[in-house]
This record gives sequence, structure tokens and C-alpha cells, in this order.
Amino acid sequence: MSDALLSAPVAIAADVVAVTLLAVAAAKVKKNVKENLVPLMGVMGAFIFAAQMVNFAIPGTGSSGHIVGGVLLAALLGPWAGFLTLASVLIIQCLIFADGGLMALGCNIINMGAMTALVAYPLVFRPLLGKGAAGWKIMAVSIAACVIGLELGACMVTLETVSSGITALPAGKFLALMSGIHLAIGIGEGVATGVVLIFIRKYRPELFGAETAVCGSGAGIKKAVIGFAIAAAVIAGGLAFLASSNPDGLEWSIEKITGTTDPEPQHVSAFSTGAGKIQETTSIMPDYDNTFAGVAGALMVVVLVWGVSAMLVKRKRPATRTIHNN
Amino acid sequence: MGKLEKALSEIQDMQRGGGEQSLSPLCLLLVTVVYLVAMLSVPVDSLTMLIWFAVFPIIGAGLSGLDFSGIFLKSLIALPFAALIGLFNPIFDTAPGIHAGGIEVSHGWVTFFSICLRALLSVQALLILTSSCGFIGMCRSMRRAGVPEFLTTQLQMVYRYLTVLMQESLDMRRAREARGYGKKHLSLKMWGAFVGQLFLRTLNRADNIHRAMLARGFTGQIPHYEPRRQSWRLRDTAILIISAGLFAIFRFVDLSALLGFK
Amino acid sequence: MSHHFIQFSDVHYRYSNGTEALKGVTFRVTHGEKVALLGLNGAGKSTLLLHTNGLLLPTSGEVNVGGIPVTKKTAPSVRRAVGMLFQNPDDQLFMPTVAEDVAFGPLNMGLEQPEVERRVKEALAKVGASGLENRSPFQLSGGQKKSVAFATVLSMEPEILVMDEPTASLDMRAARQVTEIIRAFDHTCLIATHDLELARDLCPRSILIADGRVLADGPTEECITRLRELAD
Repeated sequence: MSDALLSAPVAIAADVVAVTLLAVAAAKVKKNVKENLVPLMGVMGAFIFAAQMVNFAIPGTGSSGHIVGGVLLAALLGPWAGFLTLASVLIIQCLIFADGGLMALGCNIINMGAMTALVAYPLVFRPLLGKGAAGWKIMAVSIAACVIGLELGACMVTLETVSSGITALPAGKFLALMSGIHLAIGIGEGVATGVVLIFIRKYRPELFGAETAVCGSGAGIKKAVIGFAIAAAVIAGGLAFLASSNPDGLEWSIEKITGTTDPEPQHVSAFSTGAGKIQETTSIMPDYDNTFAGVAGALMVVVLVWGVSAMLVKRKRPATRTIHNN
Repeated sequence: MGKLEKALSEIQDMQRGGGEQSLSPLCLLLVTVVYLVAMLSVPVDSLTMLIWFAVFPIIGAGLSGLDFSGIFLKSLIALPFAALIGLFNPIFDTAPGIHAGGIEVSHGWVTFFSICLRALLSVQALLILTSSCGFIGMCRSMRRAGVPEFLTTQLQMVYRYLTVLMQESLDMRRAREARGYGKKHLSLKMWGAFVGQLFLRTLNRADNIHRAMLARGFTGQIPHYEPRRQSWRLRDTAILIISAGLFAIFRFVDLSALLGFK
Repeated sequence: MSHHFIQFSDVHYRYSNGTEALKGVTFRVTHGEKVALLGLNGAGKSTLLLHTNGLLLPTSGEVNVGGIPVTKKTAPSVRRAVGMLFQNPDDQLFMPTVAEDVAFGPLNMGLEQPEVERRVKEALAKVGASGLENRSPFQLSGGQKKSVAFATVLSMEPEILVMDEPTASLDMRAARQVTEIIRAFDHTCLIATHDLELARDLCPRSILIADGRVLADGPTEECITRLRELAD
């Protein structure tokens, strides 16, 4: 998900949900008895970051893929710690590589972190795996959990995008597109997750008890999922409310669906009376239209500001290169 | 492969910047968030209004002593994804948009450009924030803004060990290449062994770090130490109010009309 | 201040996987002594060191530091007295900046901010790393990392210093610098090392261990001779 496709209310709502989930996860994980938790989760985040950077060949295609690691982390650390770890990785990627953007962070944490570690892992992976599973079963369960987790993510992406009303893609088509892409990604992710888990089970079987993972169980996860569902419902309600109080996005997308647009060109403001002009320009929600003059004028100002600032800024530092070598 | 190396150098570049920063990182974070909210709340078909918002990253970069052209170039990475999704707009939305003289640009194209611009501006704002605060400054300001301590500690730990683990992974890759496996992508099975190996090493490292912490009296919570803490000052309040006011004006006032561009 | 001693009495240690790493180790390092711990890889040097501050507790036998038997209960107070320098500075430097790392120990000891600041400054000065306060560990060279790791221990003002391979993977100049830092520390030192030059240079006495037992305990030169025989 990217800032570009989100409206402000949707982004904020998702950010609030993500922050809440993170706070709950932090509280849950803190209670954990595993005493080396702080360094363990820290290096595990770095581990998944490094693992994401190493691509594997996708058989028969000549291309390559990498993992996201939600189910893998949940299987290794338990759902809450896994979620927290993956979220920290997403935050760092956002801050270092500007991936997605700051406001979309909440969406990304929900779509990629919560849906895999907090939903697919406890509801699919754990119950299906059972105890002392064989290699093929680990593989099958990993694929199932990853596909479901990613498909849920695709649904969330669609929900967020459609309720933002930025893209004109109809919801059905968008969902079809997203779930198609995520099905492929999910299978790849599942196979990759399975391969790693089988390797780990082979060399360190003690890490791979059905319940333990590396740090602790996901006790209370069912309650959490129910809580999450309620929270989601509340948020969805709030979202609808926000959307109705800020109708730009929704109104516009409804307009698209019904196919009606306002045919009246409104670029007459330049000719309107002074009073009317002031009234129009300062009104809270002026009725915008995009004339070539308007677009060109605004663009000119931007270029001008760029030029002036380039002349004014003498002490130039290269972007993001702020290392001091002395 | 190049990916790992490139990421490594980017992380190392993104040092705690802003030694000379006169504003507190928290103020910069808040200003950025307010900007993003204002910018993203611009209706998607109000391209003109959105273009006005493009002046802020330029000014912000200038005030932070950053080279905007560098920021601009880096922000282009956000473009392909936004453009890809945005391209559906002209396909599905052929209603008239801009019309002047004989030329007509459909509503879908207007929103397409709008999506692209949103992508660029949001990334630019974020880049300016991170390059002027540095990662550690960001973590500190998040903690001060009320983010749970556990999370900021986690972020700092991940950040600290990113380069260590990526270096380790790079060394493993090179060892493998040196034994004649070439640079082609790992088969799934080998990839699994590779990542599994990295995981086991990581577990080991977690134990070693934990021991080093215990040896220095670690009791489960990382203490803070900020001798030259940049506290919130009056000027931070002033900047926050001024910029929020400016964003509001740009959001709610038709500047193009005011300046007579239409 | 004659209580800065380390006494191992018939210490046995068995890892949870069944490997017996220490098979009855007995020795005493008295106050102000600098002793090298020699032995081939896998002899049990690192395991032994981890017993000096209670990171590992003996399966049987007793470790006594300065008159206090090391137990789970006493370990926290023992750790204030015994500073431990680990082999890999990347494991030891876990904080985002040098200053925070050096302050980590003193802050855990509950010291006040001005005292912590004094100690950070002093410890960094001692190891020649003043000016690196705001660097991140990954901006430091190998030698600088080692020096800073030293500072993180010195800032706790330990009475006994225990080191695992302090000169490993350092170039000659950095190794020499580390040697001088250790020389300047005038309390008790126990140094596990493969660096025979370092042992000769700093430690009149050495303890040679092999297969979890003390094989020789005496003048460094003699222990080195025995170590050479072992290696052949």
C-alpha cells in the first residue's frame, strides 16, 4: 500500500488500528517469561530484513522472489512477538527506503503483519499443524497459511483502496486483480516458509515444538482475534462515518460507479465579481476545477520556488547522505 | 545480490543526521504528519490544489539544508507503483476533466497525474524528515510522542543489527559464490538452507548479546541516555503552528483563483 | 583491597546437550594479578570465563569472587565487580550510539546522570575513543569497536577484568593499543587468548587448560611450551 492511493481518513484510521495492535502486542510480549526477548526480537527483525534481501529462483519462470516473513516469524517467535518483529521491519523499511510512505504504514502493518502473524498463523497454521508434524505437512500448512494470510491482506488492500476512492478501478475488478497477484505471491511465500521451517526442524528440532516456537505460546490469541474483529468492526463503522463527513473521496467514487458527472464547466470564476471571487476562494470547500491555466500557473510557482530555493540554499548536503567523516 | 549491497550502503548512509538541526525531531515529525494529512485529504481530482502542495518539500528541504534535487530523484522510486495502479483511472474514467480551447484531458488522466504527484510528495516529505532527523532521532521523537518504549527499543535493536546480519548474509553468499556456485539465484531448497543457517546463527547471536547485556547489569529494560537531549522549545511550537496554518490555507483556499491563474 | 580474587574450586559444567565442558577446574587468581588463560579451541576457555560472573553456574563445585560464592542470587552484585570483555564487539555494542553503550552499565547500576556522564567521558578517554560519542557502532573500525567495547566495561569501574580474546581479529596497531589499555588497568585480570605475544607481554603467570581440566598453572613461558606440545 502506498500513500498515493489512500485518503487521509482511511490512512489515519488504519494508523490508529496499527498503533493499537502494536501496543497490545508490546504488552503481551512483555509478559513473556523468555528473558532474552529484547535482543532476540531485535536480531530476528534484522534477520528477516536480511532474509528478504536474498532472492530465490522461482522454478520454471527464470524470475526470482523473496519472502515477507509474517508466518515464518510467527512460527519462530509466536504470533505477538512475530507481529511486533515484522512491524518493526516494515517501519524501518519505510523510514530508510521510504517504502510506501509514512501514512500508509498503518495499512502495511495490518495487511502484511497482522493478517499473517495474528490471523493466518493462529487460525490456520497452528491448528492444522498439530504436533510433531512431518516435512510434507509443514510444507502444506505453510502454503495454506501464507496463501490465506496474503489473500486476507489483498482483501484489506482492496478495502482500504476502495474506501479511499483514489483509484477509479471498480472494487470487484480491483479485488480480482489483487487476489490474483497475492495468490501467486502467497504460494511462493508458503513454499519458502516451509523450506526454511523444515531446515530448522531438521537441525534444531527442540525449537520446533508445536506450541513453543522460540519464544512462548500465543496464549490468549483467540480472545485477541475476537477483540481484533470487534475493533475492525468499530473502525469500519468509524470509517464510514469519517467518509460521510468528508465526502470528497466517496462521493467521487460513487459518481464513477453511477457514471454521472457534473457536465458544467466552471472556469468562469475569473470573470466573476470581486466579491464573488473572494467568497469563492476563501470558502471552506471551494468547488475545484482544473483549468490548464490553473494547473500551469501552480506548476510555474512550484518551479519558481525550486529555482529560488536552489539559489538560496548554499550549504548543500546531498540528500540523506549525512555521514560525518571526522 | 546488488540489492543487499545497495541496501547496506543506504542504511549506513542514513546516519543520525541533523547535528545542526535547530528544531526538535518531534516537531519535524509532527509537521510532516500534518503536511501528509493535509496533502492526502486534497480531493483526487483537484490537481491544481495538489500542485500547490509541491512547494513545501522544496521549502522544507531548503530549510533543512538538503539538496532538493537529490530528494526529488530519490522520490521517483515511488512512481512506478503509483503509476501502475493510477493507469487504471484513465481506462475506467473517461469523463471530461480539463477542457480549454480545443484540447480535452479526461477526468481519469487528471486523477492519474494526481496519484503520481501524491506518491512523489509523500515520499519527498518522508525523505526530508528522515534525512534531517536520522534514524535514531526518529526513534527518540517517537518515544517522546508516546510510542511504547518496547517498540522504540525494538526498532533501535533491529537498526543496530541490520548491517551486522546483512554483512553476515553477504559473507555467506560470497563464500558460496567462491565455491563456484556463481551469482545466479538460489534454488528454493538452497535458499531454505541459507536462510535457515542465517536464522540459527542469529539465535546464537541473540544469546551472545544477551550475555553481554547481563554482564553489564541488564535487568530486562534498556535504560535511556541522552546527555544533549533536544527538548521541545518555543520555536518548535511556533513552527508547528505556522506550518499547520500554511497547510490549512493551501488546503482550503483556492490559491490559483486568488492569484488569477484562472 | 585484597579481596579482588577469583577462586575456582573443582568446578564442573555440563551443557544441556550433555557435553561436559569443565571437568573439575581449580585455581586461584589473586588481587592485582594478570593471568593468561591458554588452551586450544574447544578446551573450555570461554565456558570457564562465563563462570566468573555467573553467566553460567557450575553443575558442581564453587566459584568464589572476592569472598562471595557466585550463585544465581549473588550474580548481579558479582557482575558489578567483574567486568567482562567479549570476543566479538558486535555482540557487546548493542546500543545505537557509542555514548549510550558506554552509559549502559553505569545506568543499570542506578547511578545519577552527572556521574554517568563523568564515567562515559572518562572511560572513552582511557581507551582513546573520545570524540566517538555520537557514532553508531557500524561507523567504527574494528580497532575502534574493540576500544569502545572496552570502555563499556571500564565505565562500570570493575575490580576484576575478564577478557575473551581481546586482540582477536585486530591489526598490529590496534592490538598494541588494546595491550596498553589492559596494562594500564591495575586490578586483577584474567585473559583468555591465543595471542601468545600478548600473554608474554602482560602476564607473568598463565593457566593452561585442555579438555576441561587445568593442565598447567605457572610461569607463562612454561605454559606456552606445554601448549606447543599439545598442538603438535
